[in-house]
Amino acid sequence: MDGRVSDRFASVIAAFGLTVAGLTVAGLTVALPAWANGAAGAGDLTPLPAAAWHEGHAAHLLERAGFGGTPEEVERLAALGLEGAVRRLVYFDGVPDEAVMPEFDHSGVFDPGLDPFPPSRPATTEAAKANGEALGIKVKPGGNRPIQPVVNAFFYWLRASRLETDRVAQWWAGRMLATPRPLREKAALFWHGHFATNEDKVRDYRKMLRQVELFQEHGLGDFHALLVAVAKDPAMLAFLDAGINVKGSPNENFAREIMELFTMGPGNYTETDIREGARAFTGWNFRGTEFAFNAEDHDEGEKSFLGRTGALDGEDVIAVIMEQDATARFVAARLYRYFVRDELDPGLADALGTRLRELDFEIAPFLAMLFSSRDFYSPASVATRIKGPVELVVSTYRKLGLAELPGVPDFNVVTGVLGQHLLHPPTVAGWSHGRSWVTPGLLFERGNFVLDVVFPDIAFVPPDRYPAYGQQILAVHERLRSGMDITAATMPAGVDTGEDAMAASNLLADRDEAFNTRYGSYRGWQMAIERVKPIPRHTARLDLAGMVRGAGLATPREVVDYLAGRFLSVPLDEGTAAGLADLLSGELGTDDVETAATWLEDPLRVLLHALLSLPEYQLG
Amino acid sequence: MQGIGVGGLAALAPSWLHAADTLARDDGRILVVFELSGGNDGLNTVVPHGDDAYYRHRPTIGIRREDLLALDDHYGFNPGMLGFERLWRSGDLAIVHGCGYDNPSYSHFTSMAYWHTGVPNGGDEFGWVGRLADALDPGGAPNFLINVASSQSLAVKSRLHAPVVFDDPERFRRKAFASTRAAIDGLPEPGDGGNAARAYLRDVARSAREGAKLVRAAWSRYRSPVDYGIAPLDLQKVAACIDGGLPTRLYYVSFRNNSFDTHVQQPALHQRLLSYACDAIHGFVRDMERLGHGDRVAVMVFSEFGRRVPENSNLGTDHGAANLMFLAGKPVRGGHYGVAPSLTDLEEGDNLRASVDFRRVYATAIDGWLRSGRAETVLKGRFEPLPVFS
Repeated sequence: MDGRVSDRFASVIAAFGLTVAGLTVAGLTVALPAWANGAAGAGDLTPLPAAAWHEGHAAHLLERAGFGGTPEEVERLAALGLEGAVRRLVYFDGVPDEAVMPEFDHSGVFDPGLDPFPPSRPATTEAAKANGEALGIKVKPGGNRPIQPVVNAFFYWLRASRLETDRVAQWWAGRMLATPRPLREKAALFWHGHFATNEDKVRDYRKMLRQVELFQEHGLGDFHALLVAVAKDPAMLAFLDAGINVKGSPNENFAREIMELFTMGPGNYTETDIREGARAFTGWNFRGTEFAFNAEDHDEGEKSFLGRTGALDGEDVIAVIMEQDATARFVAARLYRYFVRDELDPGLADALGTRLRELDFEIAPFLAMLFSSRDFYSPASVATRIKGPVELVVSTYRKLGLAELPGVPDFNVVTGVLGQHLLHPPTVAGWSHGRSWVTPGLLFERGNFVLDVVFPDIAFVPPDRYPAYGQQILAVHERLRSGMDITAATMPAGVDTGEDAMAASNLLADRDEAFNTRYGSYRGWQMAIERVKPIPRHTARLDLAGMVRGAGLATPREVVDYLAGRFLSVPLDEGTAAGLADLLSGELGTDDVETAATWLEDPLRVLLHALLSLPEYQLG
Repeated sequence: MQGIGVGGLAALAPSWLHAADTLARDDGRILVVFELSGGNDGLNTVVPHGDDAYYRHRPTIGIRREDLLALDDHYGFNPGMLGFERLWRSGDLAIVHGCGYDNPSYSHFTSMAYWHTGVPNGGDEFGWVGRLADALDPGGAPNFLINVASSQSLAVKSRLHAPVVFDDPERFRRKAFASTRAAIDGLPEPGDGGNAARAYLRDVARSAREGAKLVRAAWSRYRSPVDYGIAPLDLQKVAACIDGGLPTRLYYVSFRNNSFDTHVQQPALHQRLLSYACDAIHGFVRDMERLGHGDRVAVMVFSEFGRRVPENSNLGTDHGAANLMFLAGKPVRGGHYGVAPSLTDLEEGDNLRASVDFRRVYATAIDGWLRSGRAETVLKGRFEPLPVFS
């Protein structure tokens, strides 16, 4: 982070400090005991007094500005004091320059003919019929299924891009786990949810990767610049159909979402603003992984947008959006909800908007302000946030002290089951946070994830090799190898084939004889796994016995208290702690930890599974 | 300690009695709400082929008369809708035309929230299905409301009930060794220390304990020869729960992920989506009949908005307003309901004018089908039910 922003941070702190010093109330607060400083303060954006800072605050800060950490990391952060800890996490003060994280390692799955990729399989085969080739592959002059190689290539890229995107997610999660700059990744994760883009529609892992790198690089910088960069980002352009937004027939998708979801929120603009805004963005397109402005598609005419009239282009529209009060309030509230807590009243939202505007929409100093505030350390904020799936998984690994992301369980499967498959947000609105992360089914799954970490599933099947979720592909595979022809091998399985009982979707599946979709789907999978590099599949290497013995714990109850303190953000109640101590005691066969030194590991794993299955573990 | 949580109220005897009373009075009737997310294009779903204006608005993606599954001399189904054509022919499908609300929102999220809460141009803390559960059973009995989903829908959010939300029944369980399971289940219920998120998680944990066993047992017993099509869309799970004897009266499922948002290259995609949805619903209705539940189950189908009447320049359609709703099942009196909006007298922005407030269809389900007499409370206003169930 450059000096300019750091200096601004110092002056912001100084300015707030002066304000506080001028108030009688602040003088009184300092006189109160340390615990009372934390008890009040909800909604108070003035800084926590330096004297009130303690290790619990450091743990909370590391949880929110990163993905939590080991007791040793928390201790080191606490030793820096409030300002030092915030500067360390927000501006990376004192983080060695050489601590850079590895770049993504491409498998090399892309072929030039795949770009531009048609919007659908029918569009691909229509193009092949019309032009005699598609995706860089020519139609066969004769023989059965002359378009089949094109269809195979279509499915190859669908599979390969998807699998490679999972490798991007795996790489990103590895950075979240190992980075000494966790806020960079946490902010990127926030922006990924804010500017949600899904590979299912983009169908190009290169664009997805580029977007993640944009968030990593600029996620703590100037929001205006970030917004322009996102508006020109090929993944976003592809996702919101901006690429087909042309003069004479504006497509409103991007113009609508940029106002509704990215900047202002509903109710602050009209349908006319959306139509006029869409005109301003006409001609914004992409070529491969680069932004491209097609001047001949751009509507040069006069537009009237949020009270401004002129020959506006996309950047003008963004500049107008940035001037709206609603934008500062909306973006500040989104950041607040993610990093502090779900509930905020309109008065606080206004105050936050004003702060963000005063800071020229610079994200880092805004977050530093939040992370320094009494509000952030008040009971209303501490341990009241339900961790998202990615945070849950990454912070579990961090608190276990792992340096590398395990390949078993599969990161993408686990987070997908828990509702947050990276680079596949469910809609353009991103993930709904807070309570929606946890349902009865998902609460079980969160505990099941912990079981899979402490006692790995030996029946694990790598989903990037074996089409575990593609029963149809497997059925085709088996039948082809048993000697069936392609038509017979690709008949839908397990269906009563009587005319009336057979569902319409099954009748439809295989009607074009120029090619066979199901065969293409099968062959595409084979072609993809040949070229996509496998994800390494080591399990988590744990040493809970070493952890517990290193902490010098003597009794089951001490072990429970230690692990609860290490992993949970809320104190355990007496009854639960006692019940868990009984569980450990039973597994150990003794109440003396030292006696059990040589068989400590498995009982500790049983205990950890129970502890991290508690509803309380979901809070951060 | 548990505030407005589930367990506290459920223990009160009068509430239980009231719930039992309700069950006896209405024969355990069940409502399944089926959401088509993304804004289904109603005009290319039930196509008014008898209206030339349709073909003028849709010169490219308009579906030709000869390709439609004809219903009558004015309407035909999208060719993907074999499942609905069968329901129509057996008199088990009601089509409600022109459903919507005033000052429509063209935002997926805003409009869906209006439909979820049943409060257009406003919103509510709780969903209409959640409020319906509260009205039908103020005792907050366990397992009254099921939402098959990866995350809970706003529609089922309830003051008194903790909805049972799961995705895959086989995975709806705690994987744990016997000793761990016993230890976890034996732990006391601590207070929440004034932490609302903690209280919420405790409610969810309770709902999980109470629902999981029943759902899994029902799913493991369920076998069906009925074809639900390529994508059963969670309706087999609902069938299993109903046949498994769960006390659930309200089910909420969704065709997920904004699938019907067909801005681009609509025709093949839309036909496929409709074939999945109609096959699944047709399969479900027939399965209910096969299992002897046909007389007590009705399905309501909706989407957050229809699409704009004129096609766009990308072989697709943009966000629109008024739309169709469907009611399906043996108890339904099949036919057309509501008033089809004019294709020539459009609202500003080339949209269909709503002729039926969608809450009238909700009221039809609440009072007409479930006979609760509580539609006015649940919907916060009087809405005349349609005679679909009389």
